Amino acid sequence: MKPFFLNLWSHCVRLTARWPSIGSIAPFIPLVAGWWIVTELEVFPRAFLPGPVDVVRSFGSLVYTGILPEYLQDSMVRLAVGAFWGIALGVPLGMLVGLSQRAHTALWPLLLFFQAIGDIAWLPILVIWFGYGLITMTVVIVYTVIFPVVLNTVLGVRSIPITMHRAALSLGASRTRILWEVVLPGALPNIVTGLRNGLGYGWRALIATEIIVGTSGIGFLMFDARRAGSVVEILLGMIILGILWYIVDSWILAPIERATGQRWGLVTR
Amino acid sequence: MKNLTIRNLSKTYFDPYAGTNVTAVHDVSLDVRQGEFVSIVGPSGCGKTTILNMIAGFIPHTGGEILLDGRPVKGPGADRGVVFQSFALFPWRTVLENVAFGPKMRGVGKAEREKIAYEYLALAKLTEAAGRYPAELSGGMQQRVGVVRALANEPDVLLMDEPFASVDAQTRMTLQEELTRIWQEKRPTVIFITHDVGEAVFLGNRVVALSKGRVLEEIAIDLPRPRSWDALNDDPRFKELSGRVLQLVRSA
Repeated sequence: MKPFFLNLWSHCVRLTARWPSIGSIAPFIPLVAGWWIVTELEVFPRAFLPGPVDVVRSFGSLVYTGILPEYLQDSMVRLAVGAFWGIALGVPLGMLVGLSQRAHTALWPLLLFFQAIGDIAWLPILVIWFGYGLITMTVVIVYTVIFPVVLNTVLGVRSIPITMHRAALSLGASRTRILWEVVLPGALPNIVTGLRNGLGYGWRALIATEIIVGTSGIGFLMFDARRAGSVVEILLGMIILGILWYIVDSWILAPIERATGQRWGLVTR
Repeated sequence: MKNLTIRNLSKTYFDPYAGTNVTAVHDVSLDVRQGEFVSIVGPSGCGKTTILNMIAGFIPHTGGEILLDGRPVKGPGADRGVVFQSFALFPWRTVLENVAFGPKMRGVGKAEREKIAYEYLALAKLTEAAGRYPAELSGGMQQRVGVVRALANEPDVLLMDEPFASVDAQTRMTLQEELTRIWQEKRPTVIFITHDVGEAVFLGNRVVALSKGRVLEEIAIDLPRPRSWDALNDDPRFKELSGRVLQLVRSA
C-alpha cells in the first residue's frame, strides 16, 4: 500500500513540474469529488443541489444557445471599461495627491469620505439619475476600482526615496520628466497592487449591480435563474465567477507584478 | 576654468521641538579648482552632508554664496553630478540605462548615449553587467554604477556623499583604488565627503577637516600617484598625514 501512494505522489510531483497549470487545478479535484459524492448519495434533493455533471450539461446548453458567451462578454466588457477609467482617473489623481502636500490636504478627507460610501450604496441614487443601464453599471465599477488605485498610488509615490528624485534632478531631468522617469515606475508596484484589489472589488460590485439593475451579464444570469428556480444555472454562474477571476489574476495581473516590482527587486517574492 | 567657490556659506534652520534656531554650517569658505580632488572629513553631525546638499542645490543655503564657474548655484542641475551613499540607482532601469540616463535627459540619441554609457562602463569594468538590473548586483557593483552614472554625464563637479560607507571593508579598498585610477584618467573635479580619515587622505589632493559646522584646517596631501593601499599602508608620510587629520578632527 505504501509504495503505491509513494508512486502516486512522485507521479503528481513530476506531472505538476512539467505542466504547472495542472498544479493549479489539483486543489479542486477533491472539492469536485466531494461534491459529486454528496450529490450521488442524494443527501440533499437533486433540485436543491445538482451534481457536477448537471452543471457541465447546463454549461453546454447555455454555450450552444449563445446566451452564456454573450453574457460573459457583456460582463467582461463592463469590467474592462471600468478598469480602464479607474486607471485613467485613479493613477494621475494618486500621483497628484502623493506629490503635492496641498492636494493631499485638500483631497485626502474627501477620498476617505467617499471611499466609505461603498459601491452599491450608490445604486439607489444612480438608478434614479441614469436608469437601469450601462451608465449606472460603469459608474459603480469605476467608483469601486478607483479608490484602491488612488490610495495605493499615493502610498507608492510617497514611498519613493527622496534620493531618487535628487539623483534624477542632478542628472538633468526636469520636474515634469521626473513624473514619467521616476514617480510612475517607482509607484508602479503599488499601482498594480491597487489595481489587483480594485478589480477584485470591482468584479464583485459588477455582479451585485447586474443582479439589481442588469439586463444581461453573469450576475443577471444567476438572478434570472433564481426566478426560474434553476439551481443548476446559479451554481454554474458561481463557478464561472471564480474561474474568470482566477484567469484575470493569474494570466494578467500576476505576470505584470512579476515583470515589474519583482524583477526590479522592489517587491520580495 | 570651471572653479567652485564657496564663500561664507552657512545654514541655519528652525528646530520646532527645541524652539530655537540651529546653525548646522557656520561660515564655511572653500575654493576648489578644476580637476582637483578635495576630501571633506568630519564626524557625524559636523555638517558635511549639509554642505554637499547645498552645493548640489537639494536644500537652500541661508547665508553666503556658492559660485560655479562664476555663476551662483540655484537648485539641482546636471553641472553638478552626485554619488549617493544609498546608491540611488533607478531599480526599474538596467545598468546601461542608468548610466545613459544623464545623456538621455540632455536629448542625446539612443545609439550615441549607449555608446557613451558603454565607454564609461568599461572604465569601471562593468561591461558584463550592462543588461542587468541594480537589484541583481552586489553593493560594491551598484556603487560602481553610481559613480559611472554620475561621470557619464560629464558634470563640472562630482559630489560624492560618503559613497563607500555602506560596502564591506575589502570592497571599499578596491573601490577607493578604482576611484583614484578613474580620477587620474578623467580628471574630474571631485568633492568627496567622508567620516573616514584614511579614506580622505588616500583619495584627496587636499583634505578639509570639519567640526561642528566649521572648517578647522585644510591640509594639502602630497602623496604621489597612482596610489594603492599596498604601497600606502606602511608609508610614513601617509601615516603622518592621517595622524594629523585624525588629531584635528578628534580634538575639536
